[in-house]
Amino acid sequence: MAIKEPKKTNYFWTSFHAKSIILTIFLQIIITAAAGLLLVYVGKLKIDSSEFIIIVGAIFAANLILNLISNNYAISPTRSMVAAVTHILGQQTNLPVPDANSNKNNKTGLGDALRTILGIKIEVDNSIDSAEVESLKSQLSIVTNMLDTTTCGFVAIDSNRKITYANKAAPSHVNTENITELDLLFSGDDALRKWIDECENSSVRGEHIWTRIPDSLPNQENRRFFDVVASYEKGRIAETILVLIDRTSLYSVDEENLDFLSFAAHELRGPITVIRGYLDVLEGELADKFEGDQHELFRRLIVSSTRLSGYIDNILNTSRYDRRHLKVNLAESTINKVYDVIKDDMMLRAGSQNRLLAASFPSDLPTIAVDLSSMSEVIGNLIDNAIKYSNEGGTINVTAAVNGDFVDVSIQDHGIGMPESVVSNLFQKFYRSHRSRETVAGTGIGLYISKAIVESHGGRISVRSEDGKGSIFIISIPIYATVADKLQSVDNSNERLISQGKGWIKNHSMYRG
Amino acid sequence: MAIKTILCIEDDRFIGEMYVRSLKKEGYEVDWIVDGNDGLIAARNKQYDVILLDVMLPERRGTEILEALRGGEEDLIPHSHVIILTNFEQDDESRAAMQKNADAYLIKAEITPKKLISVIKQLKDI
Repeated sequence: MAIKEPKKTNYFWTSFHAKSIILTIFLQIIITAAAGLLLVYVGKLKIDSSEFIIIVGAIFAANLILNLISNNYAISPTRSMVAAVTHILGQQTNLPVPDANSNKNNKTGLGDALRTILGIKIEVDNSIDSAEVESLKSQLSIVTNMLDTTTCGFVAIDSNRKITYANKAAPSHVNTENITELDLLFSGDDALRKWIDECENSSVRGEHIWTRIPDSLPNQENRRFFDVVASYEKGRIAETILVLIDRTSLYSVDEENLDFLSFAAHELRGPITVIRGYLDVLEGELADKFEGDQHELFRRLIVSSTRLSGYIDNILNTSRYDRRHLKVNLAESTINKVYDVIKDDMMLRAGSQNRLLAASFPSDLPTIAVDLSSMSEVIGNLIDNAIKYSNEGGTINVTAAVNGDFVDVSIQDHGIGMPESVVSNLFQKFYRSHRSRETVAGTGIGLYISKAIVESHGGRISVRSEDGKGSIFIISIPIYATVADKLQSVDNSNERLISQGKGWIKNHSMYRG
Repeated sequence: MAIKTILCIEDDRFIGEMYVRSLKKEGYEVDWIVDGNDGLIAARNKQYDVILLDVMLPERRGTEILEALRGGEEDLIPHSHVIILTNFEQDDESRAAMQKNADAYLIKAEITPKKLISVIKQLKDI
């Protein structure tokens, strides 16, 4: 059996030593007082004479010194033994390890006692290796076997970010330096590390769930998808524990859909180029020849072809986003410039559907860090939705205002609105509310990709809606000045595009929190 | 001297015709080549102010043509602007490599001939 560690062995000596000295001093005071009184009693000294004080003082001092010496001698074997015991228990102490083989200790026989005590150490170590360890080992192997036969992945990460355990189901591999690495492609390369950083800096406990995390790139064999549940607790041996649930069967259907959509979208771009191109050319060339409602019909052709082109962009961006290829190139710009990209299309689109589109932005708004093309796609999607879900003759208001470090752009309609149950699912891929399935055409990816794009800007998208009264979507885009430092520190030497001015950024993710 | 001569390397007949028609109407002199090999030869044989370059081309890809013209130590077309026009999703590396040697990179489905002309007008003389 293992020796149970006595409590406060390392404190014993300090306390015992102090008490023995106090006791010695106390006894000396009593003895000296008794001797003094005796001398007065027998009439040798007068209590108020100076001889009395000198003699009594001398007796006290001499006795105290002699007694302290003898006290020290008497307790020294105790000190040696306590030091030996404290030492083998591995506790911290100021006492030096006694020399069991010194001549003095050998002569007195204390050497034997000390050698016996110090020898126990070996027995203690041996005793840990015995039955109890075996039982622990067998319990551990039962647990390990159990974890290896589950379909859930379990991963333990210590405070140094090292993976200390990964069961069989966890997608991981051991690299050439014998370090276990996870095979999970989070949307930001270091999403997990950043989350742990955040927990470490700000909280004692944390939990986070990532969904649809693949273990390999598209087109690789046996690609799997996981939902990842992470829990963090400061000070725990395994500070971060990941539970990985294999959702391949659920998500791969969407993936196949996306593969097909992305392929189809590319094929569609060719004909769309020609349709949009000639409509644009012919509108100018035929303007004088239109009769009756021909001009309005022609406008509808233009609106429809631009919408088609917008949907194709949505599909391609969704595919890019899900393959972790969506990049936004952030540059300093204004909300006016973003809106200008789509303004004509949107006015035409609203007009042809009998909606009134009213966009006005305060002139003193700060510049924002934005990718003109993808953010205009987002605003286009939201205006498109506002047109779809509002009533004939309805007004759609687009405005902007500063909100902290962000410029909030809001797109408001006064249409059919949504109940709360719909709002919570709104930004999911392929989600269509029951009502919209029946009445309004759509792909169910417009809001999904809009959210992805806004969040790739380091921004947020939110919605307020009331059933029957309309909805308001708000996009928060970072003010350029708040992120300029981080953007400028990114190498952007290779990026250039004619229509978009300066400051091209290859990857925005460096500044996202 | 203002931009006048344009080489259009584009294999899609409809798209090629559309660009050529609009550009000619705008007063530019346009040569249209549908094949990658011939496109490269044309670009080397005559000095154009602007080269419109598709990416997915028969015989020789747009990436290879640009590499042959501007990838070496010597820029073989120092007096030409290059505008990449594509509907093909390139990976980031290839796209960045092309952008480095080009003046613009445009998705065909997202621009109309009018917008293409406005981009060409923004180009400065070399």
